[in-house]
Amino acid sequence: MDDAPVVELIDVSKVYHMKAGDVYALNHVNFSVKRGEFVAIMGPSGSGKSTLMNMIGCLDVPTSGTIKINGVSTTDMSDDELTEHRLNTIGFIFQKFNLISLLTAYENVEYPLILKYGQRDHSERVKKLLTMVGFTEDRMQHTPYELSGGQQQRVSIARALANDPTFLLCDEPTGNLDSKMSTQIMEILSDLHKQGRTLVMVTHNPETAEYADRVIVIRDGEIVGEE
Amino acid sequence: MIVSLALRNLKLNKFRTILSMLGIVIGVFAICSMGMVSAGFTDEMDNMISDTADTLTLSPLGEKVVDGHPTVGFSEKDIRNIESATKSVTKEYELVPYYTSYKPVTIGKEMVTASVYGLDSNDMSSLVTLVSGTWPRGGTNVIVGEQFAEDNDLRVGSRVSFLGVSGQEVTCRVVGVMENTGMLTFGIATDSAILGTTEWYSSIVGNNYGLYNSIIIKAYDPTELAAVDAAIEKKMNGKEDRDSDNTVSILNSYELMDIFDELMSMSSLFTTIISAISLLVAAVAITNVMLMSVKERTREVGILRSIGTFRSQILQMFLYEAGLIGLIGAVFGVILSLIVSPIFMMIMGLEFTAMFSVSVLVYIPVGIGVGLVVCLISGLYPAWKAANLNPVEAMSTD
Repeated sequence: MDDAPVVELIDVSKVYHMKAGDVYALNHVNFSVKRGEFVAIMGPSGSGKSTLMNMIGCLDVPTSGTIKINGVSTTDMSDDELTEHRLNTIGFIFQKFNLISLLTAYENVEYPLILKYGQRDHSERVKKLLTMVGFTEDRMQHTPYELSGGQQQRVSIARALANDPTFLLCDEPTGNLDSKMSTQIMEILSDLHKQGRTLVMVTHNPETAEYADRVIVIRDGEIVGEE
Repeated sequence: MIVSLALRNLKLNKFRTILSMLGIVIGVFAICSMGMVSAGFTDEMDNMISDTADTLTLSPLGEKVVDGHPTVGFSEKDIRNIESATKSVTKEYELVPYYTSYKPVTIGKEMVTASVYGLDSNDMSSLVTLVSGTWPRGGTNVIVGEQFAEDNDLRVGSRVSFLGVSGQEVTCRVVGVMENTGMLTFGIATDSAILGTTEWYSSIVGNNYGLYNSIIIKAYDPTELAAVDAAIEKKMNGKEDRDSDNTVSILNSYELMDIFDELMSMSSLFTTIISAISLLVAAVAITNVMLMSVKERTREVGILRSIGTFRSQILQMFLYEAGLIGLIGAVFGVILSLIVSPIFMMIMGLEFTAMFSVSVLVYIPVGIGVGLVVCLISGLYPAWKAANLNPVEAMSTD
């Protein structure tokens, strides 16, 4: 089990049925991500990388083929099982940060813990995570509107780590940030990788892709290169 | 956290929340206040009527000629016939013939008019209850109603006087006070009555040529009243002609109760319909507000779902919101009706204390429950819709 790839795609296709004909968003894609790897998936917009990311993130299931997360296929999972995977196995980091605007930075990080354990965090884990991404105690009580883009993305990284997921799934993590902020965020992600975390990152930016061990290039729904 | 998200969203859209709450406040207020007022009214009526709800009151019909004088009343023969009709149905009854009319009475220097009743001393205890004093005996003792005593400052030992049949002044001693029966009473309404023996009655009003003015029949088992009623009707009325040859008019208290109950249930049906309509309007408003809330928060729902919130939890979150609107709205509605209902009751001539009966106060939990349930039902579809949003599509909306 431990030797199984964290993420494994076997002949995965995703077809959208349109009136004008079927559209292959993904066409027989095969690849896998091993434990501890940092893999970047690169491609222009419309290449199918968002579809790919949604499926790795258990937000969507393939039309054909199999996606295995920790060796378990997602194809026949119920919505609740997929949700459980998103809660426990995957840590999402989005381009638009996607913090919950009604909650403070602290509560945003605490939220997945409450979902998992059904109670507030008494273990100081939230504080540790937020400190790790460079947050001071007083700023933890700010709402997302009161934070800069870089700060929001830090909160989102802390949130992704809250339930100690098997891997982090990053969707254009620096897409909405300036270059200075981008570097800081990539440094944090790179540090996490060095600590042994598995990371899958979707990006179209070659500079951020450089942080990865391996880059998979995707175009028109097919893998066209790997370096 | 789910609850707190729901709470924060309500706070964030305070004005909208209050507006949608207003519908529920009005709906619950309508249900509660109408319910409370009609319950209070029914209670009062029941209290007034129930004491005499086991009686038939018989009034004479048709003229009789006694010693060349035309008059109306029950003769000894009539009473025997009525009694035998009653006996054919039940052995457990009381039959009390009595005299009654209005008569001026002098109390000190004041003269007032009172209802006067004359009946056999032995029958008194079956129709009225004494609160103080003793039963009257002989020709110069009377008992008076509690209300009458209070109004005219009378107590046991006081004296009242009448102008007797032969023109002499008859002074009588009050020997007892009767419990009030309420004004809506069949037979003897004691509140403003003076009651004495037939001997006393004859001396101040006359004995109506020996004909009684009225008869009260009490059955120990009230369910037998209908049969007694029918038996008397058969024996006394319509022997020669169904319409004109009638000797008895029977006032059936339980039938009157039925009519009254029917009236009340019709009016409560009416109020229920009005309340239901106002609640329906409120429900539509809340569904609308909740749908707007779901639409506005589509992205938030997408985020929550993508980071591992279950469908059922999203459903819960929106139902909490609807439930909170319902609960707070309903509580305000109930408070409002607790303020307004007593005012309406007092306008309708009820006592303020009518508020504190169980059948009135039961509208507090009923109102809150109805408000809550209506809101939860209205919130069900929007909540279901939110829970079934596709997380990917939901997240990509702005």
